[in-house]
This record gives sequence, C-alpha cells and structure tokens, in this order.
Amino acid sequence: MNLVERYLHAVGRRLPAKNRADILAELRSHLNDTLEERFGGQASEEDVAELLKETGEPTKVAASYTGGRQYLIGPELYPVFRMVALIVLAATIGGQLVAIAVGLLAGEAHAAGWNAWAGLVNSIPAALGSVVIVFLILQHFGVNPDLKEKEAWDPKTLPAFEEDEKVKPSEQIVGIVFGSIFLGLLAAFPGKIGFITFPGGAFYPDPVIAQYMGWIILALLAGIGLNVYLLWQGRWTTGSRVAQVAVNLLSIGVLVLLYQGHTAWLAAHGSSGLFPSLVKFGEDIAENIQVLGMESFRLAFGIALVVTVVDTVVELVKLVRKSLRKESVPGN
Amino acid sequence: MKTQNQNEQLDNLSQELRRGALPLAVLCMLQENKYGYALIGDLTAAGVEMDQGTLYPMLRRLESQGLLQSSWVVDGARPRRYYVISPQGREVLASLSGEWQKLSRVVQSLLEQIEK
Repeated sequence: MNLVERYLHAVGRRLPAKNRADILAELRSHLNDTLEERFGGQASEEDVAELLKETGEPTKVAASYTGGRQYLIGPELYPVFRMVALIVLAATIGGQLVAIAVGLLAGEAHAAGWNAWAGLVNSIPAALGSVVIVFLILQHFGVNPDLKEKEAWDPKTLPAFEEDEKVKPSEQIVGIVFGSIFLGLLAAFPGKIGFITFPGGAFYPDPVIAQYMGWIILALLAGIGLNVYLLWQGRWTTGSRVAQVAVNLLSIGVLVLLYQGHTAWLAAHGSSGLFPSLVKFGEDIAENIQVLGMESFRLAFGIALVVTVVDTVVELVKLVRKSLRKESVPGN
Repeated sequence: MKTQNQNEQLDNLSQELRRGALPLAVLCMLQENKYGYALIGDLTAAGVEMDQGTLYPMLRRLESQGLLQSSWVVDGARPRRYYVISPQGREVLASLSGEWQKLSRVVQSLLEQIEK
C-alpha cells in the first residue's frame, strides 16, 4: 500500500465514522493535487514522506476535524463529577466494610470469606462506572446548572453573604456517607436487622424495623438527596432550610413510629415503662434477652428522636431569624 | 532566551489576531465554486497564509453552519469537493464585513492616538 493510503488510514482511524469517508476523500484529493503540482506525478517516496510530514501527524490532523471535543466529561461538569465519584466511592467501600464487620459479629462465616472481599473490589469499578454513565448522560444533554448562562441575569439576585449561610461540606459528606451505609446495610441484610443473644447465638430480627422498612428507606433517601443538593449549591437558602425542616419532620415521624412500635411490642410482651426488664424478669432467658434487645433499639430510636427534634428546632429558629432580618433591612 | 520568548509571544498574538479574520477571508474568496487546494492557492496569492490543516476543518464547520454549500465534482484525474458561499453565508458576510470595518476604524484611531 502506498504511503498516502497508509497515512489516510492512520488519520481515518481517529475520525468519527460519520464523516470519515468524506474527510478522507477530500484529504486524498488535496494530497494528490499537491503532489501533482510539485512533482508532476513523478514524486518519489521521499517526496511523499516530506509532504506528509508537512501535512502533520495523523493524530493532530484528525483532532482538527473533531472540533476538540475529545472528552467524556467536560471541564464544567468535572468538579461535580469528581466530588460525587469520591462520595460514592467512600460510601461503597465504607458500606461494604461495615457489612463485612456486621456479618462477622453476627457469626456469618461467609461474610469474611474471599467472596466478600472480591465483591468489595468488584464493586469499586461498578460504582465508578455508574457515576460515569450518569455524567455522560448529563454531558450529552448539556445539563450544566452552574455555568449555564441564564436569561436576563440580575446581579441583585446574588445571595447576601453571611457566614452561617455557607454549607460546610464535611457535614454534608458525613451525612451522605452514613446515610448510604445505612441504606447499604438495609439492602444487604433485608429483614436481618436485629440482635443476637451472644456471639454465634440465636438471631432475633426486629419485627418493628421490618414493618416500617419502606418509611426508613424513604427518610434516608430524602436526607441523602438533600445533602447532595446542599453540597452542590454550596449555600443555604430559605428553600433548602425549609426542605431540611421537612426532611427532619419526616425523620421525626418515622422515629416516632419506630419508638411507638417498640413500646407496643414491649407492652405486648408484658413489659411497660422505660426499662421494665431491669425491674421484672420473666423466666425464659431467651425472651428476656429479646426484651432487652428491643428496649435497646427503642432507646437508640428515642435518642435519635431527641437529636432530630433539637436539630429541627435549631433550623426553625434560623429560618425565623433570617426572615425577620430580611424584613428589617430598609428597602427590602 | 528572552528574545525567543518574545518572538513566540508575538507569534501567538498575531496568530490570535488573524484567527478571527480567516472565516471572513474564506467567505470572501468563495463567491464562486472552488475546491480546497485551489482555494489555498488563491488565499496565498491574496496574502492570506492558511495551511490545509486549518482550512479543511473550517470549510466543514462553515458548511455545517449553513454558510457554505459543497458538492463533489468528478472532472479530470480525480474527484474534488467544490465549495461556494450560500445565501445565508452572503447575509452573514455582509454583517461581518460591517463589523470588520468598524473594528478596523476603532483600532486604527487608537493606534493613531499613540503615534501622536
């Protein structure tokens, strides 16, 4: 094959299939015209090589036709992509490590086996791959909320700068990672959230958690979604504070259901009050431990409930304070 | 070393200056059908240096924007792709030419001010 055809083949390999034949035909025509004019159809291989050198490396020539779009995720989306990829990676690895640890504590031999570790290694490219696919779609449809030029943009709509309005990324990342770990656990061990009497002993799934599983997952997803949004925006707004309060109210609702569910279960098993088992023990040791376990879960949900209520009150105070300040600013 | 840097700088700046004018020159030259190789010759003769690596992608871009029309013609030894300005291209050329003259006047008057 002559040098020109070898050159065209090398260029063609780097061109999009759509216009390849057309671009190559034109380039071939140009090269032959040049050769004919310079050497009158008597070009030696050296002459051809000289012309091709002048024309440029195949990679560069091909790149000049592709308009420079030789990337999967553009510079506008890349910072968000990197952040989301790191979070997903942390959540994937963290979630599985916790799952392995829980499996080990629960005495499930397969949890520590080769398969568990292989699964962990395999999940990394799968998780990253999913993030890449999502961003490829965003890139393809030109979704680019940060840098997209808005019509009739008004500088006066820039948010006022207040120190407490800045979102602290660490808080959101911790929220996302822990939320994802809990979700991962619920997904990995459906119906297996409960307690064991002693290492290797009988396992009691918590019936109340299983009953409200859908609500728990919904509350976790809402929390994770809001955290991702806040991380993306970087600043608190009235809207996101209202959303935070709404997510908190949902969590409070779910926690109340869980707390009451446990109380009802304990009452049905002959216990009432805060720590009845300390006062009265039945004769069946296994049942006593079950009651103790359910009390511990109830205590954990109770603490979570108090923390969430306090957090919600703080958010509400901030929201009210902010709206009062807004009204007191002259001209607003 | 410093002069080499300065030369590079000058090269880059004048390249940048020329880059914006090239589509204008190409649209001017394509009032009648021409194929790429002949167009490069005409541009060179008119004083516009432009290599094939710049010209052919630009011709494609201008065509995809609807400013040029092209067709393959087989006459003589080999097929050639001929380009010509489109009606939309003529409109754009008219506006661009106005822009160019305005810019040229403004820069000229700025340069005259420092010469005084």
